[in-house]
Amino acid sequence: MNQEELNSKLSEIKDKLFAVESGKSRAGSDNRIYLSCESENSYAVNKFLFEDVPLRFVTATGVDSDDCFEVLYHYAYDQTSCVITLKAFIRDREKPSIESIAPFLPAAEWIEREIHDILGIEFNNHPDMRRLILADDWPEGVYPLRKDAKKPADRLDGEPPTRPMVQSQSPARRTVQLSKPVLPVGPFHPLQEEMEFFQLTVDGEIVTDIDMRISYNHRGIEKISESLQFDQVPLLVSRICGICSASHPLAYVQAVEEIADITPPERALYVRTIIAELERIHSHLLWVGLAGHFIGYDTVFMWAWKYREPVLDLLEEITGNRNNYGNLKVGGCREDVGDELQPKMLIELDKIEKKTEMLTKAVLDDPIIHARLKGVGVLSKEDAIQFAVTGPTARGSGVAIDVRRDDPYAAYADLDWNVITQPEGDVFAKAVVRLLEVLEAVKITKQAVKKLPGGPIATEVKEIPPGEGCGHAEAPRGETFHYVRSDGGNRPVRHKVRAPSYVNVPSFKASCIGGHIPDVTITLAAVDPCYSCTERMAVVDRDGSVLHNYDALLKLSREKTARISKELGAPELKMEDL
Amino acid sequence: MSWKIWSLKKSPWVFHVNTGACNNCDIEIVDLLTPKFDVERLGIKLVGSPRHADALLVTGGVTRQAAPRLREVYRQTPKPCVVFAIGACACDKGIFTTGYHMVGPVDKIIKEIDPNAIIAYVPGCPPKPEAIISGVVTALSVL
Repeated sequence: MNQEELNSKLSEIKDKLFAVESGKSRAGSDNRIYLSCESENSYAVNKFLFEDVPLRFVTATGVDSDDCFEVLYHYAYDQTSCVITLKAFIRDREKPSIESIAPFLPAAEWIEREIHDILGIEFNNHPDMRRLILADDWPEGVYPLRKDAKKPADRLDGEPPTRPMVQSQSPARRTVQLSKPVLPVGPFHPLQEEMEFFQLTVDGEIVTDIDMRISYNHRGIEKISESLQFDQVPLLVSRICGICSASHPLAYVQAVEEIADITPPERALYVRTIIAELERIHSHLLWVGLAGHFIGYDTVFMWAWKYREPVLDLLEEITGNRNNYGNLKVGGCREDVGDELQPKMLIELDKIEKKTEMLTKAVLDDPIIHARLKGVGVLSKEDAIQFAVTGPTARGSGVAIDVRRDDPYAAYADLDWNVITQPEGDVFAKAVVRLLEVLEAVKITKQAVKKLPGGPIATEVKEIPPGEGCGHAEAPRGETFHYVRSDGGNRPVRHKVRAPSYVNVPSFKASCIGGHIPDVTITLAAVDPCYSCTERMAVVDRDGSVLHNYDALLKLSREKTARISKELGAPELKMEDL
Repeated sequence: MSWKIWSLKKSPWVFHVNTGACNNCDIEIVDLLTPKFDVERLGIKLVGSPRHADALLVTGGVTRQAAPRLREVYRQTPKPCVVFAIGACACDKGIFTTGYHMVGPVDKIIKEIDPNAIIAYVPGCPPKPEAIISGVVTALSVL
């Protein structure tokens, strides 16, 4: 394609985008646009889509096609519920390469590193092409998502069973970092959740740089998915993340339903809404509890987790499991919300609402929490757009995006609810967004239970025709995006998953730098990363000896709270008050 | 019974190791500490360092990147200690068996460096909090 053709095509796209009615129906593939270009043009087209249209970058997918490699850039235009996919074809299979878009789009930095890891595609002019998703000892030149890839031996030859604790890094990088004090965070932390490694460079109390290493939790789900049948995949993707175990299958089944042009029965849509919102309630309460713990309010931790239990009991009663509900399938749901359960659900939801209101009031009226969390870990609106963050992280920075409203799925279009936003972008704003969202979620669930229509909960699905589909859903942490490609067989040929934390976590580069060390725990926790790796930190000096461990840092965070509390003249808590 | 084992069974302190789990088992473990289950009343306490622990609660099927770290954590734990493989993944890699980045399961990795390790299995996806408590009690009572 020459430049003129490209230009005319792009202006067409722009017309088309703005012409799409902002009707909020799930209009099948009407609001999915697929564009193609050669790899040489992809930089210009991407720049146009991101900067001139402008679109929100979602993710990119690398595909190993038979005769070429494809890199698919997914964008969303939230005002008209469009998902735009740009396919760039790389014809050279021997030395595949493409221009990096990370220089103008920081949100693409991680995904390009990932595609480089798993498919071996070179991204020219990428600012930081280190390994991201594969282990340190993964053999060079083995690209697991290529169709002809074989699983390598579990261990490199000659590697001893235990290795020194020092993180493996290139010697050049190590000397740069060791010239300044470095604060490693992770990879293990004792209280809960997953592994993740952060490296903070500090100047006194101030954080001057942050670097992240993931891969500890990489299980290769996209590849496993290619070996499972369409109907088995929801059970796999619900185990991507235990707390998002309704959102991932929801996004996946929507993508497959888009390929096969299936409309699930209405009752199934309502059941999906109920499960997804119950999940949001327990996930947000979980976060509130942990946030309380990180700033030294263990009472909030215990309260929030206590109030979360009835939600899990309800989920168990509906689906048979407290987590990993396994309730979604292509074409509908597996388990119904029984009619006999509905009165009980309404009673329980009322109780949850009252308790959450009490908790919200206790948190929002507390002058110490105001002083401790306001102005901490600020993510500005501009940064939020640059890093393409989603969910409460975006809404806490004043970016009003919510897939439930922007591209309605399940039964959200029929129900009355609000998108919560806060303009400040600090930790407090994110806490407010989450607490108020719990109340909204209770409201949605109650309406859905009351309006639950009759009829079956699933339609029969015979075959998945060849094609491709994009499904996204609003998980508690933000937008979950799934891209599925079918060749007409009974397994997906490519299944790409983008979890919300994948874009939210890199925004630490904007929110942590310039902050104080005692604020880091809560800032890292504020985006509710699936790996809120804030436990087990250690401050290391030049020769690698540990100066502060995690407990000391948690203590620093708590002491700051206590100091503020003293300055505000708050009464000291006595035993009689409890 | 050696005095070491006898003392191990009284109020075991546990260290939680995630080796590539989906977070579910981990949440259920944290759930054990909160008011509904509250295992601290039995003297079971999550600690911040493997050097303080009597038992390791290991979740996840062990990814390639996590395996050396798991060995290191096990090496740092004072012996004797009990390794609890919590959840289907930790027991046998579960649904992720065919994954290219999985090198587990937990018992294989631990036995590479200590063939005599004490390993207890709590299956389930995720095991309910009651199941985890029951698993810990059963394992300690047969020691």
